[in-house]
Amino acid sequence: MVNLTINGKVVQAEEGEVLLSVIRREKIDVPALCHHEAVEAFGACRLCVVEITRQEWDGWCDYVTSCLYPASDGLIVNTHAAKVNDLRKTIVDLFLARHPKCPEIIELAAEYGVYSTTYQTVVDGDNCILCGLCTRICDRMGFHAISTVGRGHGKEVSPPLHKAPPDCTGCLACAQNCPTSFIEYSAAKGFLTIWDKKFELLKCSGCGKETITKVFAEHLCQERKIPFEYFQICDECHRKQLAATMGEITSWDREAAS
Amino acid sequence: MKNRFIVNPDLCTGCRTCELACSFTHAIEGLRGQTRIYPLDGGFKDLWIPVVCLQCDDAACVKSCLVDALRRNSETGAIDLNQEVCVKCMACVAACPFGCSVVDQQHKLVVKCDLCGGDPACAHFCPTKALKWNPIEPQTRKVAV
Ligand code: SF4
Ligand code: SF4
Ligand code: FES
Repeated sequence: MVNLTINGKVVQAEEGEVLLSVIRREKIDVPALCHHEAVEAFGACRLCVVEITRQEWDGWCDYVTSCLYPASDGLIVNTHAAKVNDLRKTIVDLFLARHPKCPEIIELAAEYGVYSTTYQTVVDGDNCILCGLCTRICDRMGFHAISTVGRGHGKEVSPPLHKAPPDCTGCLACAQNCPTSFIEYSAAKGFLTIWDKKFELLKCSGCGKETITKVFAEHLCQERKIPFEYFQICDECHRKQLAATMGEITSWDREAAS
Repeated sequence: MKNRFIVNPDLCTGCRTCELACSFTHAIEGLRGQTRIYPLDGGFKDLWIPVVCLQCDDAACVKSCLVDALRRNSETGAIDLNQEVCVKCMACVAACPFGCSVVDQQHKLVVKCDLCGGDPACAHFCPTKALKWNPIEPQTRKVAV
């Protein structure tokens, strides 16, 4: 355990734990778009920048991405120093120039008082901030179905060769966690489509509700040794089934008692 | 583990107080959460079954989670879902054979019973004691081997 100061308050942290985790535990609101606890920190969005200093630094400060910087004894952190806010303002300003129509970016920029960018707007700018969270999460799930391709202006997230990714299972983890809701998918008539790949959805044999994709369920059965029957009915019908079984047992008890 | 959660359907009147207690206890920023306990009529007359996570030993939810967001809490005995780690893939919701991993539509989260971190609100509020949070008695009698 180490002691550090965040915004004037002394807090405890594990040695080496990244600052952002400590900051979040203290319920301090620091914007962070590319961070997710399921995957390793990446430092792509730069929004989690904070000011750090130490007693022995004699008034000198440094500005670091809190999602990557490890906590250590005696560190003094300021999450909303004037300079930090300025830095964040510049970052959201740049984001706004690149993604002018992105609702999440527009909202974040407004929080920092940026209502229109001071840079030149990319007119056809899409909503992907290229933070790579989707690809990191897909890797963590063990699928490696998508990655960033190209460099510089041409960099984008894509399945291999821009074709329907053979390794994708339609688990939707990428889309659910995209900080700017850029990854599109659609579900209709028993099928789910993501990354131009069409998946059959499992249908509850009790009520007909659609659950996860068949491919994803089959993967879980194979990798994690879960019986396929478990996936044949939905959560609500499973609960009803349990109630019916327990009801039957309780009614025997009652009969036996009467 | 110092306590054990006990469900006695025979005493349940289907008043759904547990559901309310659960929902309020798991509120986020004032918005009620999805209940993790469901008093259901099992299709028998005058009989209600409070359906809640059984915190299975060899749990399907834990097995199904590819990012290890679900872990046993050794203090409470519950299987806790770490919201920070969950990637909302719905694997556990689909895999649980008792339907006890559920979606909180309002907060866009996957949730399950966490025994309220070791002090289950539903057991406190159940008026008929159909739900109980009983201390586990230290074993006093010798068990024949
Ligand atoms: S939906 Fe496909 S691409 Fe997205 S995380 Fe799941 S496997 Fe990867
Ligand atoms: S929904 Fe969350 S907790 Fe459930 S299996 Fe997926 S990642 Fe794990
Ligand atoms: S959260 Fe730290 S750089 Fe994006």
